[in-house]
Amino acid sequence: MTPTFVTEAVQVLRNRYGDEQIRTAGDGGRTLVRVSEVELYEGCSPRSTPMLLVLDPGQPKPQVYVQPGQLLANGKAPRSTSVVMVGGESWLQFSFNIPWEESMGIIRFVAAARQRFVQHD
Amino acid sequence: MTNVQLRLPLGLGHELERAVFTKGQREAVAFCLVSHARVGGATVLVARKILSLGDDDYLDDGVHGASWRGTAMLPAIESAMREDLGIFVVHAHDFSGQARLSSDDLASARRLVPMFAARVPGRPHGSVVLGRGAAAGFLALPNEHARVVNDLSIRWMGKAILDWPRPSPEVRRDAEVFDRQALVVGNQDCLAGARVAVVGLCGGGSHVVQQLTHQGIGTVIGVDPDTSDLTNLHRQVGMRPSDAEKKSPKTKIMARLVKSIGTGTRFIGVFGRVPEPEVLEALKSADVIVGCVDNLHARADLQEIAWRYCIPYVDVGVSIRPRPAAEHDARVTIGGNVLVLIPGGYCMWCAGFLSDEKLAAETDGKGRSYFQGKKGEAQVISFNGLVASQAVTEVLQLLTAFRGSSIDPSSLALEGDLQRGALKLDGVRGTLEDWGAKRRPQCPACDRSLGAGSAVWKAA
Repeated sequence: MTPTFVTEAVQVLRNRYGDEQIRTAGDGGRTLVRVSEVELYEGCSPRSTPMLLVLDPGQPKPQVYVQPGQLLANGKAPRSTSVVMVGGESWLQFSFNIPWEESMGIIRFVAAARQRFVQHD
Repeated sequence: MTNVQLRLPLGLGHELERAVFTKGQREAVAFCLVSHARVGGATVLVARKILSLGDDDYLDDGVHGASWRGTAMLPAIESAMREDLGIFVVHAHDFSGQARLSSDDLASARRLVPMFAARVPGRPHGSVVLGRGAAAGFLALPNEHARVVNDLSIRWMGKAILDWPRPSPEVRRDAEVFDRQALVVGNQDCLAGARVAVVGLCGGGSHVVQQLTHQGIGTVIGVDPDTSDLTNLHRQVGMRPSDAEKKSPKTKIMARLVKSIGTGTRFIGVFGRVPEPEVLEALKSADVIVGCVDNLHARADLQEIAWRYCIPYVDVGVSIRPRPAAEHDARVTIGGNVLVLIPGGYCMWCAGFLSDEKLAAETDGKGRSYFQGKKGEAQVISFNGLVASQAVTEVLQLLTAFRGSSIDPSSLALEGDLQRGALKLDGVRGTLEDWGAKRRPQCPACDRSLGAGSAVWKAA
């Protein structure tokens, strides 16, 4: 990711979710972006989650996390998850792989991450 | 701990002490740049950087204890803005007893602190005076009105944890019980007021919990996500066969063990895995963390927690491997470590115990989500107990300073630039030797996490 993309991504997220929903923090050269409420799909529990996006100019893609305890739309815990520490906080990391490049934009990345929770495992 | 505590990693504390406790015509001033975190109901400030003023920066006006050019503060302000850190002006009144800001200090603080807060919002700022053994300040904490704090606590990292002032335990202990350890411990309050977290409560951790309780530690926080089975009975201190039948959580077995010892130690069991939210909150509240875990990912998390919040971390581990050998030779290698990780000193990344390659190998090159944990590794209680006992001795040093309490990093030197506190077990030879380790000057893990505190969320 280029530094320009990081700056633009924060702005795009503000436009999409509103200023009140977006908070940022610096963490060792990375930009942490917290979206306070991302709506998931019918059946997911809880139905919405705080989402953390880690925008690291040294990495090709953002990293994405949700609040620990998030369940899938089928009511089960997602497979291959683990609680990890980011910025001194606990977040749920989940297996998630999509072909993505900067030109596709951050909103498409978030949409794909949300889709992970309609899968059944 | 009082409501606000400033923690100074190894090296930075010594730098600050040398900068402000100087004998001269005027007081000396340093700028301490800090991160912060909320721990329970308290605010912890963690020093990231010390910037001193040069002789030319002072103005000799003959009126104030110290007066300096406004431009002399620019490097500190610019650095704080760049790294998103709070700014504290620190000076000293070099005598024992209570420290208090003078009216002149306070007037200066009331001018400077709002200016710092305007430059770096969301972080704490202040002006602090250090006495010998006490501190006070004028502090502006995030979302609070600026106020005078006369019971500011200072925690220096050195050979031991040095607290100004020494905290008082909530409950005094029966002196007779601990009489025979008094020669080493000194004031039992050092232990009775302490909170030690033990992560991993089986072969190594159960020994640690047992010994800490006998020593009279005030609070032991025990963390483990597992229940017991029969394969634990040969090494988990305090376990009974019925625990295997009932699949008792290891935290529950430790709670029973602590209660049965009867020295008054409070046990807080946390049935969870590092770094789940409840575990993370519990660990942040500890004075020392002891890690008795069986994998590198958990070690990496504990290392990060320790560095972020400036908490000493003692890591223990034993590894037993088969060894092809002739009939009368040793058929195993038995290695192990006791690492005493003092924030500001060497970390597990500096010393090569952790690396991206080693972490990737633990998950077969996949992400953390694929980590399954280790099962069935060889363990023998006597070797676990050996390293666990040494770990408890290291905790004893950190809390009581029986080997000394210097905050000068050179007091921890083994030889050359090697720091003491990297002990290696050779269980076949029967040795536990300090090999030492050194801090890597450009260690990315130290740069990223030492004194980083918690993320500070701001409007974009």
